[in-house]
Order: sequence, then structure tokens, then C-alpha cells
Amino acid sequence: MIVGLRDIHERKDTKTPLSARLREYRLTLKILLESPSSTAGLVIVLAYAAVAVIDFTYPSLIGVQNAYSLVPDFMNSVPTPPVWPTHPFGTTFPGVDLYQAVMSAIRVDLWYSLLIVLAGAAAGTVVGVFAAYVGGYVDEVLMRFTDIFLSVPYLPFAIAVAFVLGRALDNISLALVIVWWPLYSRYAYGQALSLKENAYVEAARASGVGTWGIIFRHVIPNVLTPIFVQISLDLGTVVQVFAAMTFIGFASGNPLLPELGTLISNGFQYAVAAPWVIFFPGVAILIFAIGMNLLGDGLRDALDPRSRT
Amino acid sequence: MKLRYYIARRLILLIPTLLGLTLIIFTVSHVGGNQRLLGEYINTHSKIPVSVQEQLLAERFHLNDPLVVQYFYWLAAFVQGNWGYTQTSIYSGTVLDAIKLFFPNTLILAVLASILTGLIGIPLGVWSAVRKDSVLDQTTRVVSFVGYSVPLYWLALLLIIVFSTSDVCSCLSILPIGGTATVSLIGGVDWYSGGISNPTHVLLIDSVIHGRFDILEDALMHLVLPVVTLTYGVMASVLRVMRSSMQDTLSQDYIRTARAKGLDEKTVINVHARRNALIPVATLLGYTIAWLLGGVVLVESVFNYLGIGYWTTQAILNGDVGGIMGATVIFGLTFIFANLAVDIAYGFLDPRIRH
Repeated sequence: MIVGLRDIHERKDTKTPLSARLREYRLTLKILLESPSSTAGLVIVLAYAAVAVIDFTYPSLIGVQNAYSLVPDFMNSVPTPPVWPTHPFGTTFPGVDLYQAVMSAIRVDLWYSLLIVLAGAAAGTVVGVFAAYVGGYVDEVLMRFTDIFLSVPYLPFAIAVAFVLGRALDNISLALVIVWWPLYSRYAYGQALSLKENAYVEAARASGVGTWGIIFRHVIPNVLTPIFVQISLDLGTVVQVFAAMTFIGFASGNPLLPELGTLISNGFQYAVAAPWVIFFPGVAILIFAIGMNLLGDGLRDALDPRSRT
Repeated sequence: MKLRYYIARRLILLIPTLLGLTLIIFTVSHVGGNQRLLGEYINTHSKIPVSVQEQLLAERFHLNDPLVVQYFYWLAAFVQGNWGYTQTSIYSGTVLDAIKLFFPNTLILAVLASILTGLIGIPLGVWSAVRKDSVLDQTTRVVSFVGYSVPLYWLALLLIIVFSTSDVCSCLSILPIGGTATVSLIGGVDWYSGGISNPTHVLLIDSVIHGRFDILEDALMHLVLPVVTLTYGVMASVLRVMRSSMQDTLSQDYIRTARAKGLDEKTVINVHARRNALIPVATLLGYTIAWLLGGVVLVESVFNYLGIGYWTTQAILNGDVGGIMGATVIFGLTFIFANLAVDIAYGFLDPRIRH
């Protein structure tokens, strides 16, 4: 019986077996853990993820009473210095325990940042890969469209978009996605341009796989690794930018929402007299960004084919 | 390709970019609907009902036409410099006038930070790569790592806290922690009012024109903290790329050749390696400028430094479309032209780029 190209293409066993993929992941992890700085990054990021998950499921485990709202004490609204063990980070305006506030805020900021980066990366990758694969007229139009978005520096642009959408966390997130996707579009475009010349893409085309089939099954899976590294590097930046947006005045209508930028903004007027009110929320952002950058750098090195021999 | 063809090509490419920018501005200012656009033209004390006023204004400003037609009306006005009005707690008037007043201050801040970034970041990156794994290299790496992880507005706040506590050391209170000039010093001066100096609107230059060197010194002191914060934030990425690029360059064959033929290490590093290592840094510049202009907004708003960034945050708080639009225009234009300058300089430095 003659086996057609299409049959080979459809056969399940042409896919990488699970055990081989697991071996790949294990190798990545091994290379990652060989470097102390990447290990530190991984530990920091896992710790933040753990805080976020616990805060979402059993907040009382990390001593948080109310994970969804700050608990104000208007009788004692002036910040008080840290006291162990009742207020390890002190209190901030209006009489909120800063430790609990920061713990819940980590969950909120992490969630929004992850959403922004993933949505931006997904949209950008599809547009970039599509433009690169189809080429010609479509390529020109899509990439010029992408360039338009890159003609304004991202923060002023995000401010303008968020201003139009209105002050709310969801709108800030949407604004940041609108600002962020073109970066991924450019990046995926560059990757896909060289990938589409590969023999396996040609083979898939010859066997009658449609454009979208090739894009989603053959091109995108192969740009995912570099995109994933970029996501891990960007997450640290997006956490900063998201909190910056809420800090400069886009905080939601709810002043009791735990969010790091809002916490810094709430404490702003007390910053000199009670430095801890801005110190702890800022340190929470700083450490996460450092951890994410260390992990991202480590991942980039670990996934570099030159380091995997 | 000759350099002048390269420049001409780059200038032609500017046209779609600028049109793209106007599309963004148009969309941003019109998405909010007519009510938002007309807010500043409505007279609520008039006997004519607000709805009638709105209708008349919409007619006059062609707001009932299809969006495409509106865009061309808007573009015509925009090109003629009619950028609408802004009303915030720091300035009321036309957007163009506000930009003329605030932009010089922002430019000074950005230019000083860029110069410092180049002067410190590049040599330090080179040095760090040459003395790889030395104490200096390790320190530089940690400092730069923290630099691009730290939220700039938070760093600015920390500096304010440090420089406003005189109980640790009175030496700390010499640096002013906000504003552009000391009120008591600038109070009675007739060429300065409401935070704006005349005639150039740049306090550094105006104080020299009027021969007030005490005010010049004061203005410089006010620039120290904002410039330091901004420089630190921007320098981190330059330092990092310079270091890794210098390291790559130093392992190239032509460097080995240069060493083998007996050139001294200084010539090898300064003449053969550094120039080539600068190329990746130049590609990074566009991104750095974007980062710088974003940083300007945050730094200005924390230090109450009267520039475009401070105006932007005031516009957010006051719900002022004109201010947001004006700031987007000016940041966009600065970004586009800075990138143009970088590209031309790049084509000049590296002949390969022109092809």
C-alpha cells in the first residue's frame, strides 16, 4: 500500500512522544538549577506564586483576614510603625495592616500582569506569524499596522488608552495589552520568517494542510520557546508598569482594593513621616521583578541550543 | 548605497509613521464620544439648553459626519497647529501653548539623563567586560540588575525620604526634593511666574540671560534628584547590553589578531573592540528612548517637576482630553524624531546598515 504524505502527516506517532518531551523539560530544569542566580529567580517566583495561590484559596494560612478588600480602621487611620507580631510591616492609611495588604496585593498584581502578558503575547504571536507566513500584501499591511502602535512610547500610549477607557483595573489591563502586543508581533514575525523556509513547512503544505493548520500546528509551536522566554522577561516589567499606572492616578474607583501601586499612592502623603508605608509595597514589586528577570535570563540560557549539548 | 540616499529613504519612511501617529491621536480623542470632546466648549450658565449647544457645536465641528471625513477635518486643523484646549490645575489654555511651556523642562531632563547614561553606562560596561568577574564587574551587574527591576517612581520616593530627613545628617538636606526652583529665591522675580520662566521657558538658560547665577545654581540643584533617578533607570539596560556585547567582541578572531600582532591592550580595547561593541547598544537606543520618555512621566510626577509628564498626570486627575492628547502627540513626535536621529547616526557609523 502506498503511504501518502498526508497519512504520514496525520499519524499520531510522528509527534514527539511524551517521555521525550519530559526528558527535554528535565534537561531544561537541570541546566537552570546549575546556575545559582537562576535558582534564586525560580525560588522567588515560586514563592510569589505560592503567596498568590494561598491568598486566593486559604488566606488565613498566611494571616490574611480579608483577601478581597483592605480592612480599614478609621479611628486609627494615621500609619503606625512595624510591630512584631501584630503588624510586621506596620500600618498604612487608613489604618490598614500593611502585611495583609501587601500579601493580597501580590495576588492582584500578579494576576493582572500575567493576564496582560499572556493576552499580548497570544495576539502578537498570531498576527506576527500570520504576516510572516502569508507574506506579500498581508505582510505589509499587518506590519505597518504594528509599526503604528510602536510609534508612541509605551507608557504615554498606555496612559492615553486607559484615559479613554476610564479608570478601572480592567481598563488599565486592556490598555497595556494594546500597548504590548506589537512587541510580540515584531518578535514572532522575525522568528517565523526564518521558520517558514524550513522543509517541514513545505512538506506540510505539499500534503495539503491549510494555511491556518500550518500556522497553528507547525509554525507557532516552534516560535513558542523564544516567546516563552520573552514572556518571562516581560512579566517583571509589566508588574512594574501596571503598578505605575495605578500609582499615577488610574487606581480603580475602589480605594480599598489591595493593589501595590494603589498602596504606594495611598501612603504617598505619609511617605516622609512613615517611610514603611511606601517601602514594603515597593520592595514587593522590586523583589518580584528581580526574581522574574533572573529566571528569564536563566531560561534564555537554558533553552539556548548551544547550552544543551 | 550612499549615505544621502539612505537618509532620504529614511525620511520618506517617516511619512507613514507620522500618519500613523495622527491616526492614534485621532482615535484616542474621538473614541470618548462627542460629549467628552465638547465638554470644554459648553457653557452651563447659558440660557440655551446644553443639548442644543451640543448640537450646534457638533454641527460646527463636523462631528455628525462619518469618522473618515471627520479625520480629514481634524487632520487639517492639526497640521495648522490647532490642537484644542487643556484645562488642568496647573495650566489653562491651548494645548500648543502648554507644550511650549512644559516641553523645554522635559527636554532638559531627558537630555541630561541621556548624556549621563552615555558617559557612565558605556565606559562602565566596557570596564565591566574587560575585568570580567572582578569585584567591580560583580557590583556593576548587581547595580544594573536592580536598576531595571526597580519601579522608578518608588526609587524617586525613597530618594525624597532620604533627602528630607535631616536628623541623620544635615548634609542630606542640601538637595531640594521637588519642584523646579526655590520659592523664596524666585518669588519676586519679574520674568518668572506660575512655575514658568521667560523668555525661553528653560530656567537654566533664562537665569543666565538675566544674569542671576544664584537662580541657575538653584535650578541645577533641583535637577539633581530627577536626573539621577532617571539616569539610573535608563542606564541599567545600556550597561547590561554594553557589557555582554563587549564580551562577545573580545572573543572575536580579529581581537586575537590585534593582540597577536603586539598591539597594547589599551589600543585593542579602545580602538578595535569598543567601536564594534557599540553596535548592539545603538540598536537598543530606540527602546531606551521609549523607556526614558516613560520614566520622565513617573519621575516628573513624583518630584512635582513642571514638565510634560507632570502635566499628563494632572490631566489624568482632571479628566482633561486636551492634556492627554497633547502629551501623546509630543511624546510620539519626540520618540519618532529621536529614532530617526539614531537611525541616521547608525547608518553613518555602520556602512552595512545602509544596504
